[in-house]
Amino acid sequence: MQELSDSEIIADYLNGNKESLNILVGRYINLIYSFTYRYVGNEEEAEDITQDVFVKAWNNIKKFDQEKSFKTWIFSIAKNTALDWLKKKKAIPFSNFENEEGENTLAETLADPASLPPELFEKAEIEKELNSALEKLPPKHRMVLFLRYNNDFNFREISESLGEPLDTIKSQHRRALIKLKKFLTEK
Amino acid sequence: MHQNASLCRTNKHMRKDYKKLFTYLDSPEPSSGLFDRIIFAIKQEQEKRQTRKIAYGFLALLVTSLSTAPLSWSFFSKQITESGILQFLSLAVRDFSTFTTIWPDSIMAIVESLPITGIIILVLNLILVVFTLRLFLFKKRVLLKYFTQNMAFHM
Repeated sequence: MQELSDSEIIADYLNGNKESLNILVGRYINLIYSFTYRYVGNEEEAEDITQDVFVKAWNNIKKFDQEKSFKTWIFSIAKNTALDWLKKKKAIPFSNFENEEGENTLAETLADPASLPPELFEKAEIEKELNSALEKLPPKHRMVLFLRYNNDFNFREISESLGEPLDTIKSQHRRALIKLKKFLTEK
Repeated sequence: MHQNASLCRTNKHMRKDYKKLFTYLDSPEPSSGLFDRIIFAIKQEQEKRQTRKIAYGFLALLVTSLSTAPLSWSFFSKQITESGILQFLSLAVRDFSTFTTIWPDSIMAIVESLPITGIIILVLNLILVVFTLRLFLFKKRVLLKYFTQNMAFHM
């Protein structure tokens, strides 16, 4: 059962095997939790959002197109739920989630997001520094990097999960790397 | 071609670099009870959906059976008066001895004059009313709880 693909598990669940739901929840609980945690930065809220995500996914499971990826589908639900949560809380200015106009794209094109200085990896407090650098990034940039490097998503999957065009994701990724590198090396 | 290959290598290297960097990030773990909480929340949602279905079904049945009851009754009574069965019956009561002597013909006359359509419609309506009542009696607690909760929500 554990080796079945997501689509097979969903089909199994829709055919009446209630156990399949547990497997699906178990498979994604940690990923969704850490994803929402990155959005809200609070354990309790991340748990509540994670619960909401799975309830919403269950509510719409019959509408889910099994030809598509369940992973990107549930991540898009997670993203929307986390954003709704934040909107309700009004904790962050929502200009952060709008387009990134006004940024110096020329400077970004000239900058090099590539390799990181090797001495960076020798720092003892790298986790703390990385966390604080990620905190400084706009939420969208943070999520793109997080999905790409922590959850191993490809650009297409990130684009489907966050509901943004592929080119936008690629450019956000590039900008995010430049900023991250800047924040990490400027200390 | 050579440039493309070198670009691809750089990209791969870069990705590895950042992947390594992100391994330093401590992935937060949800509490052990979250899984059960999620399953419980889904079960609750399932029950809510079931209750909603029952409530809407009950309302639909109630409205249908109550609104069609007067119509089917008036149709039935109209058919009864038009069919002449009442005359046959009163004749049978008034002249019972004749009725018994020619009972096969008398019964046949009554049966033939029965307003079949009206009776079928009325019986179906009665079945619907009984079924609605039965549904209410069986799901009384669930339905009352659902309706009171919804009323409180809308007030």
